[in-house]
Amino acid sequence: MLNDNSQDLATHFLKLSRLGSTRSAMDVDDDDDREEPPTELNTINSSGGFLLVSPDKLSVKYPTVHMHGHDVGVVQGNRPAPVKRLVYYFEIHVKSAGVKGQIAIGFTCEGFKMRRQPGWEQNSYGYHGDDGLLYRGQPKGEAFGPTYTSGDTVGGGINYATQEFFFTKNGAVVGTTRKDVKGRLYPTVAVHSQNEEVTVNFGADPFCFDLKAYEAQERMKQQVAIEKISLPPNLSYGVVRSYLLHYGYEDTLNSFDLAGKSNVPPISLDQGSGSNEEGRMYALSQRKVLRQLIRKGKIDAALGKLGEWYPDIVQDDKSATCFLLYCQKFIELVRVGELEEAVSYGRTKLAKFFELPGFEELVQDCVALLAYEQPHKSVVGYLLEDSQREVVADTVNAMILLRNPKVTDTQVCLRSDLEKLLRQLTASCLMKRQLEGDQGEAFHLHRVLNSGDE
Amino acid sequence: MSLFCIVIRELEEIESMASSKKVITREEWERKLNDVKIRKEDMNKLVMNFLVTEGYVDAAEKFRMESGTEPDIDLATITDRMAVKKAVQCGNVEDAIEKVNDLNPEILDTNPQLFFHLQQQRLIELIRNGKVDEALEFAQEELAPRGEENQSFLEELEKTVALLAFEDFSNCPVGELLDISQRLKTASEVNAAILTSQSHEKDPKLPSLLKMLIWAQNQLDDKAAYPRINDLSTARLEDPAV
Repeated sequence: MLNDNSQDLATHFLKLSRLGSTRSAMDVDDDDDREEPPTELNTINSSGGFLLVSPDKLSVKYPTVHMHGHDVGVVQGNRPAPVKRLVYYFEIHVKSAGVKGQIAIGFTCEGFKMRRQPGWEQNSYGYHGDDGLLYRGQPKGEAFGPTYTSGDTVGGGINYATQEFFFTKNGAVVGTTRKDVKGRLYPTVAVHSQNEEVTVNFGADPFCFDLKAYEAQERMKQQVAIEKISLPPNLSYGVVRSYLLHYGYEDTLNSFDLAGKSNVPPISLDQGSGSNEEGRMYALSQRKVLRQLIRKGKIDAALGKLGEWYPDIVQDDKSATCFLLYCQKFIELVRVGELEEAVSYGRTKLAKFFELPGFEELVQDCVALLAYEQPHKSVVGYLLEDSQREVVADTVNAMILLRNPKVTDTQVCLRSDLEKLLRQLTASCLMKRQLEGDQGEAFHLHRVLNSGDE
Repeated sequence: MSLFCIVIRELEEIESMASSKKVITREEWERKLNDVKIRKEDMNKLVMNFLVTEGYVDAAEKFRMESGTEPDIDLATITDRMAVKKAVQCGNVEDAIEKVNDLNPEILDTNPQLFFHLQQQRLIELIRNGKVDEALEFAQEELAPRGEENQSFLEELEKTVALLAFEDFSNCPVGELLDISQRLKTASEVNAAILTSQSHEKDPKLPSLLKMLIWAQNQLDDKAAYPRINDLSTARLEDPAV
């Protein structure tokens, strides 16, 4: 039974070892960035006869005199507004309001009747310059904001967190309105009277409106609600302590405990979580030693110690643990330029893994290192980073924890509490977003950590 | 046995449809959990950020050595900051004020409220030690002028001076000012002000993330039944209540 679990564990770490590779499986993180926003006006479905779009597809003119309400010159963006973000926004600048200033900015669906002002038809929304009203698919517009004319810059945006549209004039928000449409929306511009001319900015140039500040403000609203939640006392302290214990950072742990005791007031943890802690205390010193050796690249020494303390872990030299250690040794040889030795080591130790599923990708990447004069700059350069050594160290750490005769739940060995909490957080946010039509921001730990201090 | 299970599952589904909540099985949820990418170095950064912001200098130093994570603030500045915090926590406010000014004289200059609270704490300590005359002099010379400038300062000053009216502190209405929690509050304020002056966020990121977890689960509860972590201190996944 133990063997099955240790194989699962090892496979888990094998997958982790390829995290740094750019060729690894689709990243949930990247998914959000993959949505392409609109970049220019769509000349294919615009009401071609009534308006003129410039060659750069970023401005539009109404050259003739309009006759009625069904010859509006309407044009949409070339792609729908991306949804996997907090806000989508674009701006128009009114170069000329022409004879009557009947310009509109708004959002429409695919298949919109391209001869009508946005907002005059169902499932469309438009903020009109001539009367300052907001039209949302009803015959009558609602009082909304000021009128706008030549020289004004007007923006239209979608706030996915509040499910609202908002519009701006010359850098200030003029109003918001509920978004009832769930499907894809296209940023839309319309002109209707003679000589009206409008340019569109989909983000290639800086906006008149401070979008970043607006986004920060909206995020802050959510943050305020979150900060109000109260945590049980010393929870963070406990999570950190558990983390240090789990990964074997013994020296840090001792310092941490000492500081906790001399804190005012002294921090004492509820020993209710003791069962997990006992499991994690196992072989703390040995795990620390092994981690330090691997972090320094001293793989032979690590293998030696493992052989001394836990021979059964390194007994099967086809196991994932051994595999990771051998790969790392190979990497270390390449790192110091001992290429001949690396080749002979590879032949002895790594060759057998070439055919084995699950192992072959990593071993191929390792061997590929030999092909480059500057391997750290190559596509397999990730292998030379510290994070790679970290994966090996974490694998060995988990394997030792598994050896604890008192361990009943292998899940405890696999992940620290902190990791479990962070996974739950990410998965909950993603599921919530999924159930809301996939709109809005998701939680990304990496982004939160690297957003930098304001 | 399996027919029974099928029937139960169907009933669950019908129930969930009635309440329009999506049911997510343990298996499904664990798959989603496994798909999440968490980098070890990000977790290390989170821990380091906690150690540094809360002021665990030695632990931060050891963690840097054991994990290779670089702290996002100069460790030397932490020692100074912690000395100030400790001084306030122990009631040595004069000492704390001197240290803050050594660190950065602008901190107290640009933080009148903080400065007032520190002076107020000094007054509290004088009263606690029975130095009535000194306390009165101090209140009149240092604190009254501040009180004149600001209504809320005046109110707090009056509350503090009221302590002098009582012989038995344990029963007086403003007795909480003598509690250690008051010292801790002031100490926290100083800690935050120093961090801000060093262009560092005054709160560690970890507690916010833990709160976010509680919030996210609460939000998701409206729409789905799924395995939850109810006790964050154990991080144990519990199956959805049927």
